[in-house]
Amino acid sequence: MLKVQGIDVFYGEFQALDNVTLKLDKGQTVIVVGPNGAGKSTLLRTISGLQKPRRGSIEFEGQRIDRMEAHKVVESGVSSVPEGGRVFPNLSVQDNLKVGSYNKAAREKAEEWLPRIFELFPILATRKKQRAGSLSGGERQMLAIGRSLMSQPKLIMLDEPSLGLAPMVVNMVFEFILKMKQEGYTILLVEQNANKALKVADYAYLIESGKLVYEGRSEDFDKNPYIKTAYLGI
Amino acid sequence: MQPKSKFSTYWQPLVLLILVVLPFVVTSSYLTHIMTLILLWSFVATAWAYMARFGMVSLGHGVFLGIGAYIPTMMFNYWGLTPWIGVFIGLAVAMAVAAILGYSCFRFGLLGDYFALVTLAVAEVSALTIMALRAITGGGLGYTLRSTGRLADMQFADKRSFYFIALILLLGAVYIWRRIDRSPMRLALTAIEESEIAAASLGVSVIRYKMMITLLSAALTALGGALYAQYVTYISPDTIAGVGVSLSICFKAILGGMFTVLGPFVGSAIIVLLEEYIRISLGTSFLGLSQIIFGISLLLMIIFMPKGIMGSMTEAIAKRLNKVSVRQ
Amino acid sequence: MFEQIIMAFLNGILLGGVLALLAFGLNLIFGVVKIIHLAYGQFVMLGFYFIYFFHTSWHIPLIPAMAMGVVAMGLIGILTQLLIINPLLNAPRLNQLLALASLIIVMENLAQVIWGADYRGIPITMPIIQFGDIFIRSSFLAAFIGAIFTLGLLYLFLNRTYLGLGIRAVAQDLDMAKGVGINPKVIYYVTLAAGGALTGLVAAFFVPIYTVHPHFGASFTLMAFVIVVFGGMGNLLGGFISAFIIGIVTSVTAVLSSPEVADILAMAMFIGMMMIRPQGLLGTES
Repeated sequence: MLKVQGIDVFYGEFQALDNVTLKLDKGQTVIVVGPNGAGKSTLLRTISGLQKPRRGSIEFEGQRIDRMEAHKVVESGVSSVPEGGRVFPNLSVQDNLKVGSYNKAAREKAEEWLPRIFELFPILATRKKQRAGSLSGGERQMLAIGRSLMSQPKLIMLDEPSLGLAPMVVNMVFEFILKMKQEGYTILLVEQNANKALKVADYAYLIESGKLVYEGRSEDFDKNPYIKTAYLGI
Repeated sequence: MQPKSKFSTYWQPLVLLILVVLPFVVTSSYLTHIMTLILLWSFVATAWAYMARFGMVSLGHGVFLGIGAYIPTMMFNYWGLTPWIGVFIGLAVAMAVAAILGYSCFRFGLLGDYFALVTLAVAEVSALTIMALRAITGGGLGYTLRSTGRLADMQFADKRSFYFIALILLLGAVYIWRRIDRSPMRLALTAIEESEIAAASLGVSVIRYKMMITLLSAALTALGGALYAQYVTYISPDTIAGVGVSLSICFKAILGGMFTVLGPFVGSAIIVLLEEYIRISLGTSFLGLSQIIFGISLLLMIIFMPKGIMGSMTEAIAKRLNKVSVRQ
Repeated sequence: MFEQIIMAFLNGILLGGVLALLAFGLNLIFGVVKIIHLAYGQFVMLGFYFIYFFHTSWHIPLIPAMAMGVVAMGLIGILTQLLIINPLLNAPRLNQLLALASLIIVMENLAQVIWGADYRGIPITMPIIQFGDIFIRSSFLAAFIGAIFTLGLLYLFLNRTYLGLGIRAVAQDLDMAKGVGINPKVIYYVTLAAGGALTGLVAAFFVPIYTVHPHFGASFTLMAFVIVVFGGMGNLLGGFISAFIIGIVTSVTAVLSSPEVADILAMAMFIGMMMIRPQGLLGTES
C-alpha cells in the first residue's frame, strides 16, 4: 500500500534521512523504532507531505505522493496523528473532530461518524464543547486519534502516541491501536517505547541517525541481541 | 566569512577618490546637489542600519530626523542661536528621546513586530506634534530657515561645502560601523538578537548594549536632520518627520542591503536617482505618477531582490568563490 | 457641555462599531495569513473611490453601487494575495511590512492621479434623530447597525461553516490544518477576499458621513492598528472590545480638547499598552 524508496531528506544542510526504504501492505501494522533524533518524525512528516525528499520516491496505492501538497496527501487517504497530543487549542472538542472530516470524502460521512467517535471515547463526549487546549494529555491524544479517524483514512500514521502519558493511559492508547488494527486499518507507528510497540506490530524497522539499520518481523526483533540490549532494556 | 578578494581592496579607495574629486571636476551644480542628497541620505540610512542589522527595526526614525531638523532651526530663527551650538542641543534632545523610548521598550522586552509598530506610532506622534504646535513650527505648511549667509550661522556661500560635510559624515558612519564590527559590542548584540535570555545568562548587559546602539543611531540620524535643514533650508513634517520619511529610510538601507556597510549608500543612491529621474521625465503635470512608479519599483525590488542589491551581489560573489574552492 | 460629552460618547460607540469591522478584517488577515496589512486604511479609501466612481461616472444607483464596491474590494483583496503576499509568504517580516508600505504609496498616488487631490463625496442627507438636547446622526446609527449585523454574520460564518472552521484551524496551526486536508492557499484567498470586502463595506458606511481624498486612508490605517494591537493581535474579540474603547476615548477627547490631542492620546494608550502588556488586552503570550 505504501512504498517509500530510498529517500534523502534535508533540513537545510543537515541530512535527517539517508536512503530510507520502507513498505507497508494493506492491513499491516508496521512500527518504526529508534532513539531520539533518529529521524522518525521526519519520516512521518515527509510521507504526509509537510517535507519534501531531495531524492527517492514515495508511493501510496500506486500513486506518487512525494511531490504532492500536504492536503492532497490527506485526500488520498493518509492521515497522521502528530506527536504530543497536538490539537487545535482554541477549537472545541467537537470542532476538532469536525475539522478532521474537512476533506470532501470525509464530509459526507461526518454526521455518521461523529457519534461513533464519541462512543469510542466517552470522555470526549462529556467534554464536547470544551476548549481542546484545556484537556489533559491523555484526553488530547484520544482527541487527536479521533480526529484522524474522522478523515476516513486508509493509512493512519501515529507519531509517538505514548509520549508524556501516564502508564495507565499508555496502556489505553495501545489497546486502542490494537482495536484499530482489528478493524482493518493500516497503521504506521513511530515509537520510542519499543516494548509496547512490538506487541501490536507485524513488522518493524529500526532507524538510527537517519539510516535504516535493521528491519524484520516483530518476533525476530525480540531475538536480535543488539536490539534487545539497546532498545528493549533486557 | 568570505575571503576579502582583491576586487574589494582596490575598488573601495577608488570610489573614495572619485567621491572626493567629484565636485571639482563636475561643473553642473545640479549633479553636485544630487550627490549631496545621496551622501546625506546614505549617512542617515547607515545610522538606521546600526540598529536594524541587529534586529531592532525602527519604522520611526523620522522622529530623530525631525528633532535634529526642527530644534536648531527654530532656535536660530527665534533666538539667533547659531546652529553650530544648536545642532548639539538637537542631538542632546534626540538622544534623550531615544533614551526614554529605548529604555521603556527594552526594559519591557518589546521585540520584533511590536517594537516596529511602537516606533511607527512614535513617528506618527512626532508628525502630529509638529502639526499641533503649528504656532511655532508652521505645522503642515513647513518651516523655512532664516537666511543670513554667514559662516557663523552654518550657512556656506559655496554649496559644495555641504557636499564635503555630508561626505565626511558618511565616512565617519562607515568608520564607526567597521569599528563596531571589530568590537565586543558586535558579538554582544548578535548574541542578544539570537536570544536575550541566553545572552543575559552569559553576563551580557542586554539593556546597556541595546541602549548604546540606539543612542548612537538616534544621534547620527538627528545630525543628518540638522544638516538637511541647513542645506535644503525648508523643512516640513512630510519631508523630515512622520511615517513617510521613516519608511523611506528603511527602504534606502534595505534596498542596498542593510547587512553590508556600503548597502545603505547603494540603496540611497538608487532611490534618490530613481526619484529624481521619474520626477524629471514626468514632471509635475503627472504629479503622483512618479510616485506610483516609484512604489511599484520598490515592490518589485522587495519581491525579487529580498537581500537588497549589495546583499544579492555579495551572495552571488560568495557562491562563485565557493564554487572555485570546491573544484580544487 | 454635559450634552456634548454624552453625544461624543454615543458617537464614539457608533463609530466604534464600524472600527470594530476594520479591526476584524485586520485581525483575520493577521491571524490567518500572519501578515500585517499596513495598507488597510488605504483599502477603505479605494472602496470609497470605487463607490463614488460607480455612482457618479457610471450612474449606477447608490445601493447597487455600494454592493459593487464591496465586490470590487473583495477582488482587490484576492489580487493583493496573488501578487504581493504569495511571493512573500516566506520572506523576512521586515520585507513583508515594507512591501505593504510600498502598496500605501502606490494606492494613495493612484487615487491622486485618477481622481485628483480634491475631496470627493456623494452628497447624501440623512435625518438627524433628536432625544431632548442630544442629537444623533442617523447615518452614524445606520453604520453601527450595519456593522453589528455584519459582525454577527461573520461570527456565524466562522463558527457554523466548514470554511469558517478551516479558517480558524489555519490560524491556530498551519501544519495540522494541512494535516486534515485543508488547502491553505484557498483559505488565504478567502481571508483576503473577506478582508477586502469588509473594507468595501466600511467605505459604504462612510459614504454618508465623510468625503474622500487620497490621504483618507492614513488616519484609519494607524487607528485600525492601534485598535488591533491594543486588543491583542489576531484576537477577534479583543479587537471588538478595543474598537469601542478607543472609539469612545478619541471621540470624547476630541470634544474636550482637539482631534489632534485625541489622536495623540490614542497613540499614547497604544504605546502604554505595549509597555505594560505587549500582547494586548486579550492576547495570549506566544
